[in-house]
Amino acid sequence: MLKGFNFRIILEYMPFFLEGLRNTFLISIVSIFLALIVGTIACACRLSRWKLLRGVSIAFIESIRSTPLLVQIYFFYFGLPTLGFRIPELQTGILALMLNSGAYIAEIIRAGITSVSTGQIEAGVSSGLSYFQRMRFIILPQALGVTVPPLLGQSIVLVKDSALLSLISVLELTRCGQVLTSERFMPTEAFFTVAFFYLCIYFCLKTLADWSQKKLIFREAY
Amino acid sequence: MTMIKFEDVNKWFGKLHVLKNINLQVEPGEVVVICGPSGSGKSTLIRCINRLEKFQKGKLIVDGTPLHDHGINLTKLRADIGFVFQQFHLYPHMTALQNVTLAPINVRKIKKKEATRLGRETLARVGLADKVDSHPAQLSGGQQQRVAIARGLAMNPKIMLFDEPTSALDPEMIGEVLDVMVQLAKEGITMCVVTHEMGFARQVAHRVIFMDEGQLVETGKPDQFFKNPQTDRAAQFISKILTH
Amino acid sequence: MMAFYLQRLLEIFPFFLKGLWMTVVVAGLGLSFATIFGFLLGIMRSSKKKLLTWPIGVYVFVIRGTPFVVQIFIIFFILPEWGIQLDAFPAAVLALSILGAAFICEIVAGGIKAVDQGQWEAATASGLSIFQQLRFVIVPQAMQTILPPLVGQYVLLIKDSSVVSVIGVVELTRVGWMTVVRIPEGLMVFSLVGILYFVISYPLIRVSNSLERRMAVQEVRL
Repeated sequence: MLKGFNFRIILEYMPFFLEGLRNTFLISIVSIFLALIVGTIACACRLSRWKLLRGVSIAFIESIRSTPLLVQIYFFYFGLPTLGFRIPELQTGILALMLNSGAYIAEIIRAGITSVSTGQIEAGVSSGLSYFQRMRFIILPQALGVTVPPLLGQSIVLVKDSALLSLISVLELTRCGQVLTSERFMPTEAFFTVAFFYLCIYFCLKTLADWSQKKLIFREAY
Repeated sequence: MTMIKFEDVNKWFGKLHVLKNINLQVEPGEVVVICGPSGSGKSTLIRCINRLEKFQKGKLIVDGTPLHDHGINLTKLRADIGFVFQQFHLYPHMTALQNVTLAPINVRKIKKKEATRLGRETLARVGLADKVDSHPAQLSGGQQQRVAIARGLAMNPKIMLFDEPTSALDPEMIGEVLDVMVQLAKEGITMCVVTHEMGFARQVAHRVIFMDEGQLVETGKPDQFFKNPQTDRAAQFISKILTH
Repeated sequence: MMAFYLQRLLEIFPFFLKGLWMTVVVAGLGLSFATIFGFLLGIMRSSKKKLLTWPIGVYVFVIRGTPFVVQIFIIFFILPEWGIQLDAFPAAVLALSILGAAFICEIVAGGIKAVDQGQWEAATASGLSIFQQLRFVIVPQAMQTILPPLVGQYVLLIKDSSVVSVIGVVELTRVGWMTVVRIPEGLMVFSLVGILYFVISYPLIRVSNSLERRMAVQEVRL
């Protein structure tokens, strides 16, 4: 099955693969960072007292969660030019990733905040703590523990999602596989190499996520 | 023929030596009560009888089947032994009747109609004829444990094993379960009961066995054991439970 | 101009419905096979025998660690090199089945592990065989834990089915992609595509949410 696996070709294209890998890293890191911002804002709106903010954020989150990421990518890629915005594919892709993961992160944060039992909030209120004090001393410290593992999980999802950017010609890791396939007709070497790199990233992130999960379980014992 | 025979049985949990040179014989129709402090190995002992636990050294023969051999028919062995757990472990998604008839239908291969009749009979035997269609969540602890006993009885077993059957019950429900067990004992079924209920032991047990730290320390007739324990450890234990 | 495009869009609406139908078929088949295999694998995964759990663990790791688009490329481009020539449609269903089975396997294994150990012991003590124990006692109880994430996974698979558009299956996303070439109104076209996906996913999301709530209520009652 693997006889004739052309390692030489892989070596020849290695700088190319490494560039793709680097781009995947950069795209993922930038997107996750922006998504955290989007998610925090969306979550704050979701939990706010004003119906309008709540409505808009719910509409945003539910539309993202009910439609495929690829459709969202195409929406911006084909749609933005018609509005007069000539944005390069890379930025378009990051925009789509940021909004998509942002919606999921909003829900993760919301779950973390609501996981803090109301009894504790009542105790805080009874002690005379203000809203911000309750947030700072009671809710956020506990919510953080519940939030970090799913956030790492969403990062893993985002790295895999970034592969879809190859379909709008962004030069990331998957695109390298496509290019090698079309240039040299060697899909096996191309995509097994690509898969291997993704598995390395996945292994690192998953180990981190599992480790953080273990630390969380310890905290829940209180 | 001896119903249960332990010959120099030893068991380790890792480095912990939990059963030390157990030698014990139980005759058909005997009611044996096993007591002792927690961690003494009592539960482990009876769980060996239906192979819920394995042991590393020694011989154990149950109803003619040598448990220390390989390739024994566990299904047949377990079909003939009823086991009642401390935490009942009734199947929550089934009614009392379904709990009781599950094994007869699927293990003894009895037809559903016959099994249902048998199930109703057995539930009536434990005083729960009116609860056949109730789910465990709708029953009190005492009622649940009685269903668990019926579940064991419905298989027409040769041996009934009880692992602290009343320890998880509220005090006012212990009586109803013990009454059922006393009735069973009088009907002549072989029983091994791990319990602290000394009143039960006095009423129907043929023998009381005291275990401590994995060993059978003392055995004797109930009256003799409680009034006149031969060993210090037994005496200590008895004084502790009687001052409750 | 926009009105003109809108009119043309409405004219080819049947084309979108055909694409929607293809999505339903592809995703439906994929998730059916995934459920069957996922349950089988999940039951084996929850056993204590390393010989069973280890290979399944490797399979789950690889599938969860690589992007679906890369998996599709491997199935569509690499399998022919080993003699298995698949058309786009069967390749798509196969890829979705493999993807779904890996996730459902973990969901099912988790559900089985969540069943109280005492239930196994009680069933064993009655003399029931392992198969009988699973069938009558364990799996029915595990379904409580399994159902909400299982339905959630179905929603994910419907969205993932959009990726099969890259190998030419004419499902909903592909229809949008093909349309936007002739009707260069990216926003309109992909909004329509998004709405159609929303129509099929949102009911499932609601079902999953209500299942989660019902399960949480039952836990409290215990």
